[in-house]
Amino acid sequence: MDFTERDMYRAAIHGDRDAFEMIIRSFSRPLFAVAYGVLQNREEAEDVVQDAFVKAWKTRWRVRDPEKFPAWLATIARNRARDVSRARRTVPLSDELDEAAEPVAALTASGDLNGEVQAALASLPETHRVALTLRYFDALDYATIERTLGLTNGALRGILGRALQTMRKRLQPALASLE
Amino acid sequence: MATIHDDIESWLAAAVHEELSLDERREFEAHLVSCAACRALHQDQINMSNMIQNTLTAERPDNAFEQRVLSGFRRNVPQSPVNVISLFGRVLQTRAARITAVAAVLLGLTQLGTWLTVDPHGSELAVRAASPPGSLAGLREQLADQSPRAPAPDFLDAVMRDARTSAGPATASRPKSGTESTRRPDEMSAPPPVAAAQSRSRADAATTATAPAPPSPPADAETERVVVTGSYIPPAPSDNAVDQLAVTTSSEDSAVSPGATPGPPVGVPDNRKLIRNAQVELEVVKFDEAVQRITAFAAEDRGFLATSSSERQANGKLRGQLVVKVLPETLDAFLMKLRGIGEVKNQTLGTDDVTKQYFDTDSRLNNARTMEQRLMDILKTKTSKVADLLEVEKELGRVREQIEQMQGSLKYLDAQIAFATVSITLAEKDMNLPAAFLLKRRAQLALFSTDVEKTFAEAKDVVDGAKAQISSSSLDRDSTGEATARLTLLIVPEEADALIDRIKGMGRVQNYNEQTDRIAQGGGTGMSDTAKVERDKVELSITISRNEQEPALQTTHLRIVTSEVTDKVARLKESAAKQGAEVRSSSFNRTPDGEEFANVTLRVAMKNYPALLSSFDQLGKVKDVSVHREDRRGVINEETAPADISIQVYSEGNIVTDESGIIATIRRTLTQGAAALMWSLRMIGVAVAFLAPWALAIAALVWIVKRVSRARAARRADEREES
Repeated sequence: MDFTERDMYRAAIHGDRDAFEMIIRSFSRPLFAVAYGVLQNREEAEDVVQDAFVKAWKTRWRVRDPEKFPAWLATIARNRARDVSRARRTVPLSDELDEAAEPVAALTASGDLNGEVQAALASLPETHRVALTLRYFDALDYATIERTLGLTNGALRGILGRALQTMRKRLQPALASLE
Repeated sequence: MATIHDDIESWLAAAVHEELSLDERREFEAHLVSCAACRALHQDQINMSNMIQNTLTAERPDNAFEQRVLSGFRRNVPQSPVNVISLFGRVLQTRAARITAVAAVLLGLTQLGTWLTVDPHGSELAVRAASPPGSLAGLREQLADQSPRAPAPDFLDAVMRDARTSAGPATASRPKSGTESTRRPDEMSAPPPVAAAQSRSRADAATTATAPAPPSPPADAETERVVVTGSYIPPAPSDNAVDQLAVTTSSEDSAVSPGATPGPPVGVPDNRKLIRNAQVELEVVKFDEAVQRITAFAAEDRGFLATSSSERQANGKLRGQLVVKVLPETLDAFLMKLRGIGEVKNQTLGTDDVTKQYFDTDSRLNNARTMEQRLMDILKTKTSKVADLLEVEKELGRVREQIEQMQGSLKYLDAQIAFATVSITLAEKDMNLPAAFLLKRRAQLALFSTDVEKTFAEAKDVVDGAKAQISSSSLDRDSTGEATARLTLLIVPEEADALIDRIKGMGRVQNYNEQTDRIAQGGGTGMSDTAKVERDKVELSITISRNEQEPALQTTHLRIVTSEVTDKVARLKESAAKQGAEVRSSSFNRTPDGEEFANVTLRVAMKNYPALLSSFDQLGKVKDVSVHREDRRGVINEETAPADISIQVYSEGNIVTDESGIIATIRRTLTQGAAALMWSLRMIGVAVAFLAPWALAIAALVWIVKRVSRARAARRADEREES
């Protein structure tokens, strides 16, 4: 992390609104990726990003180490997204069943490749999915992703490897048909 | 390349995402060339990655996304005026602010402690010390503020103006005090205004009182002048010093006013009536010579010796008193001359101002004279009745009596004023020398005698034949028949030694001591080479007591074991009698166990001691012999000196103790075992009692620490949950 970035985080922590808005500009996309990784829903993810920044501003003084600011932002967004996902699941069981049944049927019916990819993504563990979205949305390098997710060096490779393996297995028919 | 193959998935992912390093990429490609399966997987991976990329690119937020988020944020978090609390919290975020806050708190506590513990004086000092570094100017300002209140400088000016008229060392040292006063004005302002005012008024009084100031003799003026010069020297004139200044000014004025003429009465206006007198105590070598010289001195100055008295002491020294009248003007010169005669021990000088009394009497006298004149006139006219004339005559007599009385007192005063009175006490040197010495010799003699009465009678006989007398004698006999005789003799000094030696020969001397006092007679206690020495009668106190009271020279303890105690004791006594030993005590005991004890104490002369001791060997087994010898000075005859022997003759009991045998042993063992067990139990109890509180305290501490850390962890988890 270079010095100016770090200064920016520190200024934001100390209440510099301009610095915080700069952070919003540079971090809203990664946060979106994180939220999308959890929710797989654009609108909800965008709301989550909004909420996450507001909350981050209000509780910014809790961050002691400016270096960990990005990870902290990602944690807020992820927790917020989880809350949303949990709230979604508390809707009546019948609705959920309908909802769950419908997309699969639609996907199979249309044979849409995007739908299949989405379904395969949905079957991944959350962490794997978030890592993938971070990578594929913004083509972030591994180091940035590691920092954002608070992962140690090397762990991300394993996560992404397993994630893509699972995906490949799920998408084997589609891949086969491609060839 | 097994590792790549085994872990192919992460390699594939990293390759697809182009996150392999150059070396890794080379390795990976090498593996793909060799491994067909991996090659196929890699192809699938690329295809799938493209699919995912396609899918998720569609889901990417649009370009206005950041702006939306930003505006949403601005909407949700309006730019509010800075919250004081949040500002405070933010400020506290910085480490510098935190350190400053802690330091401030510590400093505050320290200051509080200082306030609570240090006395107000100290804090005042501290405040003064804490004034800014460039405080010299500040101090000066402060002083300038104070100076109007402080009358001291004004006063000092006044004093200096006054002093300018005076001459001598005072003038020389004055500038010093001036600089001091400017350099230390704060201290000058120290005296409270009241005191300053007082001192000023005193100074004023002194100045106004210059004219009627009582004339002081030159000697006193001299000393006071010394004080004057000295008082200007102190570096910091304090309250006291200012007072002193006032005093010295007055004295200076009074001392200066007489001017060039040395005799104070000359400077005093003539109409003052003063009676001067002096007392002098002189120590002279020869009384008569001194009286002659004093008379001569008095005559020189038109004075005279009024009275004289003398008294001869026992040691031949003379002491006396003279009263000399001299003219007041020459009094001081006369006193100076007196110093030449001998050593002045004491001198007082007094002046009695009788001006008022004198002139009162004088004016009353004038009135009375006028009255007398008028009465005379009445008598001369003779126009009145006889009764009135008689009355006038009577009144005239009363007035004349008054006139005479007043004339008499005026005359007396005149006489007193005309001559000063000097009372001189003369004493010859070495007044306390003793006239003679008396040598007084006292001796105490203690004798032991086998027959006190006989020795007592002998001693009396000896005394009767010599030049001595018995001043007291007594013979006491107590209930046990022991007699003690006491004699006190007064012996002519020449025969004393012979007589004492004879009495010493009558018995054994326990102790003898004598002392000689040299007593000074007449006069004091001092030394004198000339006083004669006389010898007084020698006082001898004799105490005669019986031999038995004499402590033994040697004491021996021994024990004899034998089977027949009574028999052996009888034999022991026999052999003791053979050696001329005296049985002083004897006792016999028998215990229920069959043990027998006999204690015998013998006293024998030292010459028979070895023989007696060897005779004991025949009686039985001699054990535990201990000998204690006490040599005393003055015991000359070791042959006859007494030796004490205390003997214990005893038999060992023949009864076997019942605490033996196997059962007794077992019982003893069990008892001891039980006792040891109980003891160790008690020790364990003590140890537990000692350790338990500590263990409890440590457990409590650990519990608290655990609780705290758990609570902290829970809170942290909550926070995480919240965020």
